[in-house]
Amino acid sequence: TAGNKIFHFGPCRVSMSMAEIRAGFSAIKANIQSRDPIRSLSILSHPHSLHKVKSSDRCCITHQLLSFYVDKVFRHCRTEDSFVNRKISSIANSFLSASRELGQCREQNNCVCGEESTEKFKQILANYEGLDVTSAAMKSLGELDILLDWME
Amino acid sequence: EYEREYAGGSWIPISECSPTTATICNVTEDISAPVAYKLRVRAELGATRSPWATTEGFFSRAMTSLTPPELRVLAEGQHVLVQLADLGPSFQFRLLYWRKGHESRVQQKVLREVSSVVHLDTMEAGAEYCVKAQTHVQAINRSSSFSPTQCVRAQGDTSL
Repeated sequence: TAGNKIFHFGPCRVSMSMAEIRAGFSAIKANIQSRDPIRSLSILSHPHSLHKVKSSDRCCITHQLLSFYVDKVFRHCRTEDSFVNRKISSIANSFLSASRELGQCREQNNCVCGEESTEKFKQILANYEGLDVTSAAMKSLGELDILLDWME
Repeated sequence: EYEREYAGGSWIPISECSPTTATICNVTEDISAPVAYKLRVRAELGATRSPWATTEGFFSRAMTSLTPPELRVLAEGQHVLVQLADLGPSFQFRLLYWRKGHESRVQQKVLREVSSVVHLDTMEAGAEYCVKAQTHVQAINRSSSFSPTQCVRAQGDTSL
């Protein structure tokens, strides 16, 4: 079902059609993960899981991660398979909409970035930049359910 | 919108419609995000291609206008039954019903899933009951206008 979910991070709120995003990702997950040969490393969960981020930092890290996927990940995931590309496009556009919504709230200084979320996001970028761009983008996309699970 | 801003203005082909000889194509899933979309189409004849025809302005599903649902009201003995066309998982239905002459006491029923026939109420003998319905899509928080009202009378009358 096309269920919109409203996430509240303090005064900030963002609505995302999680059911549609998850359905789109499930349809391409196996294909995407098959393109990621490096099993020993995680972009989002190395060295610590997202679940370790304090709740007061959730707003900031969520916005950083949405922007990370929009800016760095989706654009490097174009494949030869038009079905996969269409699903990635739907997810990318949903993330774009959500990151804008959260970004507007962040501009009003309602989305504080603490030391922990800053450190965690630095680690994610380091993991990402430790690989070539296509491998890093495919691995990040393959870990999308880790992000969705953490958000929900 | 993502493709326009982050992917060099690229276009995403929709395989069910590329190529197609049909003059209609369901692109609902491809425009499911709450952002602005453009659509384009061209004709092909052998190796010859027409220029692209592109939608003027942008479409976003928040601009969707919903049409009232197809509603059928039946009286079966003392019972008011309704039939609604299944529009898929994104749609809910809101039904308003009342006993004719008791317009101040309108009752409501929200249906999230549509089975073939729904029991609405048990009628008093000889009474006439009226029903109208609208659709609602939670993803865009939008409702249709109401369907025309239909009334039935208890004891086997069919809809008037």
